[in-house]
Amino acid sequence: MSEEGKVETTGHQWDDNEGYPLKEFNNPLPRWWLYSFYATIVWSVVYWVFYPTWPMVTDYTRGLLGWSMHSQLAEELAEAEVLQKPFNDRLEKMSLVDITRDPQMLQYAISGGKSIFGDNCAPCHGSGGTGSRAGGFPVLVDDDWLISGTIEGIEDTIKNGHTALMPAHQADFGGAFKTNQVDDLVQYVLSLGGKPVNKEAQARGSELFKGEAGCVACHGDSGKGSAKDTTGGQPVEKSIGAPNLADGIWLYGGDEKSVRLSIAKGRSGLMPAWNAGTEGVNRKLSPLAIKQVAVYVHSLGGGQ
Amino acid sequence: MNHATIEKSIPLMAILTLVVVLIGGLVEIVPLFYLKSTVVEVKGMRPYTPLELKGRDIYLKEGCYNCHSQMIRPFRDEALRYGHYSLAAESMYDHPFQWGSKRTGPDLARVGGKYSNAWHQAHMRRPQDVAPESVMPPYPWLEKTELDYADIADRMSALTKVGVPYTQEQITNAITDLKAQAIFQSDDKNLKKRYGDRMALDDFDGIPDKITELDALVAYLQMLGTLVDFSTPQPQTR
Repeated sequence: MSEEGKVETTGHQWDDNEGYPLKEFNNPLPRWWLYSFYATIVWSVVYWVFYPTWPMVTDYTRGLLGWSMHSQLAEELAEAEVLQKPFNDRLEKMSLVDITRDPQMLQYAISGGKSIFGDNCAPCHGSGGTGSRAGGFPVLVDDDWLISGTIEGIEDTIKNGHTALMPAHQADFGGAFKTNQVDDLVQYVLSLGGKPVNKEAQARGSELFKGEAGCVACHGDSGKGSAKDTTGGQPVEKSIGAPNLADGIWLYGGDEKSVRLSIAKGRSGLMPAWNAGTEGVNRKLSPLAIKQVAVYVHSLGGGQ
Repeated sequence: MNHATIEKSIPLMAILTLVVVLIGGLVEIVPLFYLKSTVVEVKGMRPYTPLELKGRDIYLKEGCYNCHSQMIRPFRDEALRYGHYSLAAESMYDHPFQWGSKRTGPDLARVGGKYSNAWHQAHMRRPQDVAPESVMPPYPWLEKTELDYADIADRMSALTKVGVPYTQEQITNAITDLKAQAIFQSDDKNLKKRYGDRMALDDFDGIPDKITELDALVAYLQMLGTLVDFSTPQPQTR
């Protein structure tokens, strides 16, 4: 009640009889607050004048500045392009090997390649190229290359993609072999990697592998894969990309169950061709982007 | 007019309150009726195929929108990562739209065609198998649950009530079209005649003899952002 007389009231008075009449104070808002509030109202009107605001019947008010988020984006993109242009022009002219020898350009290509890789390649090959066994997506950080580990080879694979097909072998899945023959093949393949196996089955499997099943045509006479091995004295066609079965590195798993599944049902792998397609529809990478990714992948540790 | 006058007369106060509310209402609601003037017309948008529509239902049912947005904003970082910014017309057949407001996972507005079906299968089974750092929970039941599509024609005709232009022919053939899209190498001539060429056709879940919820969801995801033809330049602004 101490403020009575100092503060304006609304003029009402209730409960006069109680001895403590109720009055309604009309405390004004702090001036700074009130004027800030008025200022925001004025600002909103300024905003309407300069910026796009109200949807109208056939169009919307565009504002005096002619600003739009979309044109701002176009400007920002153009600005970045100008900054990157000197580097991109040089990158375009340089050969892949020259890029690896020029520390500044190498760093530029790797940083660009890393972010392009993160968005486009990492979903299958894992962040940093660690691969994934779930879909048979190859590891890119080791030196076990299915097709080629040279920087040109890597660029070529990114550009043109790769279709891998391991046919089904078991009769139930459209293959030509009985279940027990598949078992024999499994024993032989496991023996290539030095695992303890049933010797008799291994011998039968070895015969199938080199003969009727025709595994050697892609995996080579000693199962070391199309990248290294030979068949009948000739090198295996490298573009097949058939894995080395004699090392400890497995694309789809090296345990008995996974190997069995690979032989019985077959496997198919698809690396998309990144220089094909339409941008925005199926993600094309520009030749420059492919170059940067190739440099990045080559730098991951296993590049040859 | 001072406080006392207004406060002591209920009719006067009611009228003045109404006036204030009306002004607020006019300012907030009327512009919504003219929103059409801000929607850029684009070529290629079509209503979702029956399978995609079912996939969209799964998307909602599983709450994908809680972590994934479908709205690429016109910023440089988003343009570089996700592609062309989202156009209003791209969600014109969405009821409700799936713009979302939270990105625990990445934006999905243009995820269509970005990954293979095999990738989606592995990813739904256990996301960490393909993206070890992912915090997405697994959805292994999708490929085990057969898709219930008995009500698809009803759902489509319900959507016509809110302005999705499904034709009677599309509604009548909904189930045929749904199967044609989900079954590998089936006869899709009529499906394409009704919905156009821009669509993913495959056995999306990798299980040839069943149409599962995964089939529908992957079909929907593979369509997202692919309908509008960006090969010809789009208007930057209207």
